[in-house]
Amino acid sequence: MAESNPAVAVKRSASAGLSAISAEAIEGLTELDELERVYQQLCDEEKQVESELEALISQQGNIETKMLALQRMGPNLQLIEGDATQLSGMITFTCSLAENVSSKVRQLDLAKNRLYQAIQRADDILDLKFCTDGVQTALRNEDYEQAAAHVHRYLSLDQSVIELSRQGGESSAVDASLALLQEAEQRLKALVKERLDQAIADGDLAQVERFFKIFPLLGLHDQGLARFAQYLCAQLAKKAEENLLLAVGGELGERRAALIFADTLTLLLEGIARIVETHQPIVETYYGPGRLYTLIKHLQVECDRQAEKVVDKFIQQRDYQNKFQIVQSSMMRSMSTEKIEPRELDPVLLEVTVMNSRAELYLRFLRRRITADFEVGDATAPKSTVQEHQQSLEKLLTHCLLSRNMQELIGYYIPMEEYYMRESVNKAVAMDTYEKGQLTSSMVDDCFYIVKKCISRALSSSSIDCLCAMINHATSVLESDFREVLYNKLRQGFPATTLQDIQRGVSSAVSLMQTSLQQGKFNTLGIESAEDAKASFLVTLNNVEVCSENIITLKKNLESDCSKLFSQGFGSGEQAQAKIDSCLSDLVSTSSKFKDLLQEGLTELNNTAIKPQVKPWISNFLSISHNIEEDEFNEYEANDPWVQQFIVNLEQLMAEFKAGLSPVIYDTLTSLMTSLISLEMEKTVLKCTFSRLGGLQFDKELRSLVTYLTTVTTWTIRDKFARLTQMATILNLERVTEILDYWGPNSGPLTWRLTPAEVRQVLALRIDFRSEDIKRLRL
Amino acid sequence: MSMEDYDHLFKIVLIGNAGVGKTCLVRRFTQGLFPPGQGATIGVDFMIKTVEINGEKVKLQIWDTAGQERFRSITQSYYRSANALILTYDITCEDSFRCLPEWLREIEQYANSKVVTVLVGNKIDLTEKREVLRERAEEFAEAQGMLYLETSAKESDNVEKLFLDLACRLICEAKQNSLVNNVTSPMPGEGKNISYLNCCS
Ligand SMILES: Nc1nc2c(ncn2[C@@H]2O[C@H](COP(=O)(O)OP(=O)(O)OP(=O)(O)O)[C@@H](O)[C@H]2O)c(=O)[nH]1
Ligand SMILES: [Mg+2]
Repeated sequence: MAESNPAVAVKRSASAGLSAISAEAIEGLTELDELERVYQQLCDEEKQVESELEALISQQGNIETKMLALQRMGPNLQLIEGDATQLSGMITFTCSLAENVSSKVRQLDLAKNRLYQAIQRADDILDLKFCTDGVQTALRNEDYEQAAAHVHRYLSLDQSVIELSRQGGESSAVDASLALLQEAEQRLKALVKERLDQAIADGDLAQVERFFKIFPLLGLHDQGLARFAQYLCAQLAKKAEENLLLAVGGELGERRAALIFADTLTLLLEGIARIVETHQPIVETYYGPGRLYTLIKHLQVECDRQAEKVVDKFIQQRDYQNKFQIVQSSMMRSMSTEKIEPRELDPVLLEVTVMNSRAELYLRFLRRRITADFEVGDATAPKSTVQEHQQSLEKLLTHCLLSRNMQELIGYYIPMEEYYMRESVNKAVAMDTYEKGQLTSSMVDDCFYIVKKCISRALSSSSIDCLCAMINHATSVLESDFREVLYNKLRQGFPATTLQDIQRGVSSAVSLMQTSLQQGKFNTLGIESAEDAKASFLVTLNNVEVCSENIITLKKNLESDCSKLFSQGFGSGEQAQAKIDSCLSDLVSTSSKFKDLLQEGLTELNNTAIKPQVKPWISNFLSISHNIEEDEFNEYEANDPWVQQFIVNLEQLMAEFKAGLSPVIYDTLTSLMTSLISLEMEKTVLKCTFSRLGGLQFDKELRSLVTYLTTVTTWTIRDKFARLTQMATILNLERVTEILDYWGPNSGPLTWRLTPAEVRQVLALRIDFRSEDIKRLRL
Repeated sequence: MSMEDYDHLFKIVLIGNAGVGKTCLVRRFTQGLFPPGQGATIGVDFMIKTVEINGEKVKLQIWDTAGQERFRSITQSYYRSANALILTYDITCEDSFRCLPEWLREIEQYANSKVVTVLVGNKIDLTEKREVLRERAEEFAEAQGMLYLETSAKESDNVEKLFLDLACRLICEAKQNSLVNNVTSPMPGEGKNISYLNCCS
């Protein structure tokens, strides 16, 4: 309702209590309907006004009650007004008061600050005085810690304040204090150095540590660390020399004696690691983080010196250099006067790898410790500083004399290990034996045992480059040397013995003459050695296959060994991994070269041992007429003329290979043989003529053959014999045109492997098919 | 191999005296930078860069060996499988040139007979310090049947050319080789000498 009021008001003001039609307008009206229209309009207006009036009247009560309420509120409003005025007055007052106070507070604040500064300065001056007095007293009492604390306090005073103080009224007093302090500082520094040197000379650890702790208070971090390191180095040197003396004296058990230099080096490195472990806390506490590098740099100098002594003695006592030279020259010229037994190198090779792995372990320990310490110290340092620190760490570790010495030892180790590997493999080849009933001969196992041993030894050195080099050499030995041995054995061929020649039923007189001539030359011994040669060939094929398998296994094992090494944190990341991966992939690619060799060998075997035998057996087919009638067909049924004997022959021929070859190789060989048979059969069949029953006979024969061959190999035979089977189908037709039931759109699931020309050719083999009919065929 | 995304894979091994700039050449080629304060290489470094030549992707495996004597035996184990060797010397260092015959003996002894060898004289930006005349080096290279190129790893002179020409040459030899191999299967360890072909001039 409250909302409807203004709307009414608007309307009212718009019409202003007047009708929309003026009185003059009414008077001017002359027409009746005009009058009526206006009258109607006025009536409407009247009705509307009336209703509005009613609405207004109905509101009257409401308005009256509201008025009443307002009248009652009157006195209250007067009270409120009074209060408001009073409040405003108070606020104004408070405001001016606050402004007044705050400016005073500001002044106070300033005063307070100045006061603090004054107090600080006074404190500093007092401290200065206190330090001056304190230092004197402490020095007198030989309480160096206290004296150093005073000097440290002095050194950490704000130098500009001291400067200011000197310009103040008390300049002379301050100057005097300063002079005294500076003098005390110098004296203290000299004293502490002297006492530390004395303590070091006496080897008095308690005193060394005591004065070592004082150095950083005097701002002499580097000097303190250097002197402390000097003490530690002296201790280290003493122990190391004792150990080396013991080692050279050699009163140890035989077993350890073989590794005595590696052990001595280990003692040295472990000793240093222990020193770092023991003294890191004191350095950290008194010198702060980031200082370990400096200490270790000093220690490393002694480590290098002592390690070199051990290495020198090792080289000297183990005749390392000399052994290397002999190895080197015997590798250059295979006919060397002096030669080392590979076995003799075993201990020294082992010792070198142990030495290197210990050095790697030690360097890894240093890297970890220094990196962690730098990380704490450089938490807020700029990037350039962090990088600089990393670089100096890298330089320390990779270019220290210890690293260089180890690199040198490994540099000699690699050719010696290579020699060891080559010589041992040569030996294994020379002493190759094979026992009847075994598929492979001893040299394969021996050779891989050696290769694995050499690579494992290289791996145990923890040097990635050393490992990679040996993998490379192993690849070379396997791919060139060892493969060549097998290749040469295969190249001697699989002998076709005279006996076989007779079995083969060579009919030509010429070849008979030749064979008997050969027989005369060979005699029994010839046959025997031919048997050996055959066995040797088959064993070599097995050897080749095992080699290609072994290489893959070797690579897999090496991969898992390497990942173990990496998981221990050796080898700096991706680079090392990539290098090893590359070298290993070269190694594994030799496997396929052995596979190729196997394939070549099998082809050779197929050509020399199988083909010459199988061919005549198949040509026997020619002498069996397939132009036959019922009688002959039945006769064949009772007395198989060809296929059974052929199968027996094949069985006999292959028995030797089945026994002598690994199943995989035998399978491949039978596959080659079946290809050969299907090819030769095809050629032979095309030379024959067939009657209807002859075709049926051939179909039977082919089925027997395929059934037999299916049992001897896991390969699918049917595909290889598809053409022959299709030829049999054609030879079996009733009429020429019957081919159309199988041809083109009627071929169904059958895929023809014969061309239309070949189909005609086969059809023509049937003597009862007329060539015009064949010609007329639309294929 | 066919699974991988390249048509050819070649191994290139850099050899030569310490400090002649092998690492700088490799870094210039693979990363396009001249490393300041390059420390001596320890052992061997290994890097891969794939380039495209006449539409064929060629993956180059680059082995950067250490020149220092004590790493020689590690280096030697990489010769055999290398397709190409980059024999580097420093034109401002007569000594590094004089050592070349020794390096050639190593190549003779350890490398594959089919290996392609390029002689590189590095640091030509140091003109005023040159100790080995270009003609002398060219003569030497020709007598030894090597290609010759002068480079500056620092100024990036001829560095791309060095590796790309080499890759080209290797592609040619590979194609020539597979042609030969198709005719007669070679005996193991028996190298074939193939005359150099100028395929990418
Ligand atoms: N002026 C100039 N200096 C170069 C060039 N190439 C390399 N250097 C410098 O020669 C020095 C040795 O370079 P490296 O690349 O480390 O030599 P390297 O042959 O790898 O040495 P090793 O790893 O020890 O065998 C570094 O100081 C380089 O800055 C060049 O083209 N010009
Ligand atoms: Mg380098």
